Amino acid sequence: MTVTRVAESRTEFKLKSLPEDAISSVKFAPKSNQFLLVSSWDCSVRLYDVSANIERHKYSHELPVLDVCFRDAVHSYSGGLDQTLKMYDLNATNETILGEHKGAIRCVEFASEVNAVLTGSWDGTVKMWDSRVPNCVGTYNQGNERVYTMSIVGEKFVVGTSGRKIFVWDVRNMGHVNQRRESSLKYQTRCIRVFPNKQGYVLSSIEGRVAVEYLDSNPEVQKKKYAFKCHRIKEGGLEKIFPVNAISFHSVYNTFATGGSDGYVNIWDGFNKKRLCQFHRYNTAVSSLCFSHDGSALAIACSQLDDSQVEEPKPEDIVYIRYVTDQETKPK
Amino acid sequence: MGRKKKKASKPWCWYCNREFDDEKILIQHQKAKHFKCHICHKKLYTGPGLSIHCMQVHKEAIDKVPNSLPNRSNIEIEIYGMEGIPSEDVKEHEKQKTGGGKGSDSDDDEPAAKKRATPALLGPGPSTVSPGILPTPMGPVPPGMYPGHMQMNQHMMQHFMQAPRMMMPGMRPLFPAASVSSSTPSKPTFPAYSNATISAPPTTSSAASSDLKENGEVKPPVAHSCPLVTATGAGSKIIHPPEDVSLEEIRARNSKYRPKPKPDAPTSHQSSVAPTMITPSTSQAEAVMYAQVAAHMSAAVAAARHQQAAAQAAAMRRPMMPGMVLPQMRVGVPVSVPPVMGMLPVMPQFNLVRPLQPGMLLPGGVMPMGMFPGSMGGMGSMGGMGGMGSMGGMMMQPRYR
Repeated sequence: MTVTRVAESRTEFKLKSLPEDAISSVKFAPKSNQFLLVSSWDCSVRLYDVSANIERHKYSHELPVLDVCFRDAVHSYSGGLDQTLKMYDLNATNETILGEHKGAIRCVEFASEVNAVLTGSWDGTVKMWDSRVPNCVGTYNQGNERVYTMSIVGEKFVVGTSGRKIFVWDVRNMGHVNQRRESSLKYQTRCIRVFPNKQGYVLSSIEGRVAVEYLDSNPEVQKKKYAFKCHRIKEGGLEKIFPVNAISFHSVYNTFATGGSDGYVNIWDGFNKKRLCQFHRYNTAVSSLCFSHDGSALAIACSQLDDSQVEEPKPEDIVYIRYVTDQETKPK
Repeated sequence: MGRKKKKASKPWCWYCNREFDDEKILIQHQKAKHFKCHICHKKLYTGPGLSIHCMQVHKEAIDKVPNSLPNRSNIEIEIYGMEGIPSEDVKEHEKQKTGGGKGSDSDDDEPAAKKRATPALLGPGPSTVSPGILPTPMGPVPPGMYPGHMQMNQHMMQHFMQAPRMMMPGMRPLFPAASVSSSTPSKPTFPAYSNATISAPPTTSSAASSDLKENGEVKPPVAHSCPLVTATGAGSKIIHPPEDVSLEEIRARNSKYRPKPKPDAPTSHQSSVAPTMITPSTSQAEAVMYAQVAAHMSAAVAAARHQQAAAQAAAMRRPMMPGMVLPQMRVGVPVSVPPVMGMLPVMPQFNLVRPLQPGMLLPGGVMPMGMFPGSMGGMGSMGGMGGMGSMGGMMMQPRYR
C-alpha cells in the first residue's frame, strides 16, 4: 500500500534552469501538461516547457513573487511582495500592471466562471479584477484577516486567512459571503483546495494535519467531515510535526496530493479515507504542488521557506516533474 | 526435529485451507480475504484486529472472519500468516497433506500427544505467556511425553507467541485522527451559518460583537495556543517558527526581500499609513511600536529566537489586537446596507476615491514586513489606475538581485 522509492526514477526528473531562490508556486497550464509556470522569491516568474525541459519565458517583479496562475495557454497573472498584480502575455512577451493591493499579494487565481482574476492579500482583502484591462471590479474584506490561501473551482471560491478563518464565496455573486467558518483544525491554516467536484474542500494546517470538509451545510453531509494526521516523523522518541504546505487535486479521480515541510508527498483518497501512496523523501520541504489538468503529471516544488530550519549546505530549490500512474492516484 | 522443519508443507491459510508458495502472499491473501473491513475496506492485520476496528470505528460487532470455513471462523484467534495457528490444526493439516504416504515414524504418536497438550494454551491465550519460559507451556503436557517433543513444542510456541504481539503496533489505523476533528472543542462551523447571509465586511452588529469578543478575549488565547510548539505535548514538536504567522510573512521580513531602502522611507511610511487607517492616533502609535518590535524581531539572531520570539510575539499581539482592530469595529455601518460592490462608497471605510498620497506606494514595501498589513484596516479600494503612474516609477528600480 505504501510505496517508498529511494532514488530519482525514470518517471521523475528535475527542471533545468531553475529559479535562484525559494519557489513559491507552481501551476500547470489549464489544458496541457506541457507548460508550467513557476513563481519564485528571486522575483521571477518563469514558464517552462516541461516536455522539452527548457525555460521558455521569464519576467520579473520588483520583489519576490508569491503566486502565479494561468488564464489560458498564453496569459499569466502574478503577484507578490511588491503588492502589484501583473498580467503577462506569453506570446507577445509584454506585461500589463492590472493594479495593486495595500499589502503583499499572497494568492492569485483565475475564475473562468466569470472571466476574472482574484487576488488575496495580506491587506485583509480579496480583489476581483477584469482579466483583460486594469480594472478592479471589487474589493472584498476577509474579516480583516490576512489572506493565506485561496482556491476556486467553478463558482465555489474558498479563502483561508490568518486567525483560522475561512470564507466561502460564490464568484457569480460576490455581494455577500456565503459562509464564514472557523477552521476545524486548531492551528494556522496553510493551504485550502476545493474538490474538483465542488462538494467540499481540503484544508491543511501547520500542525501536520489535513481536514476534509463539505460545503453543504446539511448536518447529514457535515457528519462526513473528518481530519487526519500526516507529515510527521518520529525521531528518537520525539515526533516532529511538519506544516502541510501544499495540496493539489487530481482533477479526474478527486484524489489529492499533500506536500509537507518534511519533504514528503502523499497521495490520498479523501472519500475513502485512504492513503494511496507516498513518494520518496525530497531534498527539502515541499512548498508547492500542482497536478496537470489530466492528472498525468505532478509538479513538485522543493524549497525551504523556514529559515530557522535551513541546514548547511542550504538545500537546492528544485522543481520535480513526476509522471504519476493510476496505481498512485486512482482510488482502490 | 530440524529435519522435520525442512519438509514442512507450504504456507497455508487457516481460515480457508488454501496453500500458498510464499508466506508473504499468504499474508496478503489473509488481509484481502479475511481481514478486510466490509464497511470501509480497510485491511487489518488479524481477526481480533478486524473485530476491534469494526467495533471502534463503525460500532459494529463482527462474529465471524469473512470468507472462512465454517469451523475456522473464530474471530478471537490471532493468526497472521502461519503464525498463531493452533498447533493441533497444524498437525492435522500436515497429516492431511502427507496423507500418511510419508514416513509415519513418530508423526503418529506426536499429534496424539499434541492434541491433548496444546489446546489450553492456544488461541488468544499465549500472548500472556512470555516466550522461552519452559515450565509454563509445558505445564499441561501429560506425562509420558518424551523430551524431543517438548523441545519442538516450545519452539513452535515461541513462534506464534511473539508474532501476534509484534503485530499490534502495525494495527494502528492509517487515519488515526479520523474522529479527532469532530471532537475538538472549537467547532464553530454551525454557529457560523447563522451569519451566512450577512454582508461581507463584518459590520453588522452580530458580526461586530463576535469580532469584538475575539479581539478582546477569545482570540489571544487561540493565537497563543497556535504558535507554541509545545502545545501538542512533550513528545512532539511542530517544526514552525513560534509565531502564529505564515512562513511567507516571516520570510518576507528578511531585509533582502525589501525594496531598496529610501532615505525618507520611515516618514513616508507613517504619513501614508495614517490616511488608510480610520483609527485613533493611539493605535497608530501602537502600530509604530509594533512595527519596531517586529523589526527588532527580524533582526534577532536565530539562536535566541525561540524563547525571545515567544515572549515578543506575546508582547506584539497584545497591543495590536485591541488597539488596531477594534477601532474599525467602531465604524458602524447600518445592518440594512447590503454591501454590494456598487454600493461600496456608502460605507465610510470604503472610500474608493481616497486621494493618493505621494508616498503611498512606498510604504507597503518599505515598512517593516513584520507589520500585519491586514490589521491596517486596508478596506479601502486602491485608486485603480490612479496608482499606475507612480507605480511605473517604482518599476524602474533595480531588483534586489
